[in-house]
Amino acid sequence: MNTTKYDHISDQELLEKFYSDGNNEWLGILLQRYTLLLLGTCMNYLKNEEAAKDAVQQIFLKAVTELQKYKVDYFKSWLYMVAKNHCLMQLRDKNTFIPVEHTNGLIQEEADMIEIKDKEKALSLIEASIQELNNEQKTCVTLFYLQKKSYAEIAELTGNTLLQIKSHIQNGKRNLKILVEKKMNTI
Amino acid sequence: MNDLHNILAQDDELSAEELLKYLEGSLSDEARHKTERKLVDSSFADEALQGLQSFKNKKDIHLYVKELNKQLQKQTAAKKKKQQQKKIKGMDWLAITIVLILLLCFLGYWVIRLQHK
Repeated sequence: MNTTKYDHISDQELLEKFYSDGNNEWLGILLQRYTLLLLGTCMNYLKNEEAAKDAVQQIFLKAVTELQKYKVDYFKSWLYMVAKNHCLMQLRDKNTFIPVEHTNGLIQEEADMIEIKDKEKALSLIEASIQELNNEQKTCVTLFYLQKKSYAEIAELTGNTLLQIKSHIQNGKRNLKILVEKKMNTI
Repeated sequence: MNDLHNILAQDDELSAEELLKYLEGSLSDEARHKTERKLVDSSFADEALQGLQSFKNKKDIHLYVKELNKQLQKQTAAKKKKQQQKKIKGMDWLAITIVLILLLCFLGYWVIRLQHK
């Protein structure tokens, strides 16, 4: 089936089409959008190309079965959770050590979805809040968002690794959001 | 000022094509920065990128994705066929029942007509 003709249809619309007529082909189109992300995520956990490929197939099967049983509202987050759980279960079965960074992340994604409604008010608070971040986060957030430097350029400028840079930017953005929200609540 | 505002904004979804181009290093500076902004907002895409970077031969990724998509299409199409077969079977029974009812009606009418004669 040619899936490009469905590019204009959102994930939610495809899901609704499936729920209304029960045709699994809609799920096929929807899941294909995430094949690459799933393959990469499984590889990140399982560290083996064949195992990652097999895991993606099993996740597809699981997704098709589960979506027939209940309604899902946030497909992407749900699929990510299914993929993560599947990989973590496999690692647990093999008694493989699971690094701490793999045990969080979902919560982080959910937290990022929180919208700051009053953007005008937030704007004036962002500048002040950046100054409250720790030095690494402040530097990385400023270089990344305000000076539009890439990960690699920031790594070169600060001497940190790419992983550290990513972590400082992600944590910096999250902390910034918390600080701004706190300040907005006290106004 | 606008850049400051954009820090807390949620960027658009990252497409598979964009992710592959980022992986290949074929994006312009501006596009690369845009992609990295999206990566910050999506743990899913960020983890996927880390995994994809560890493939020995990056060209294999395209092949694997193609293969997986083909299997997925087969899987979802097969289920559709089964559903259609089930529907057809259901429709067969419906047709048989209608024919039987009509036959019984006709027989009843015929018996009543015979008795009247």
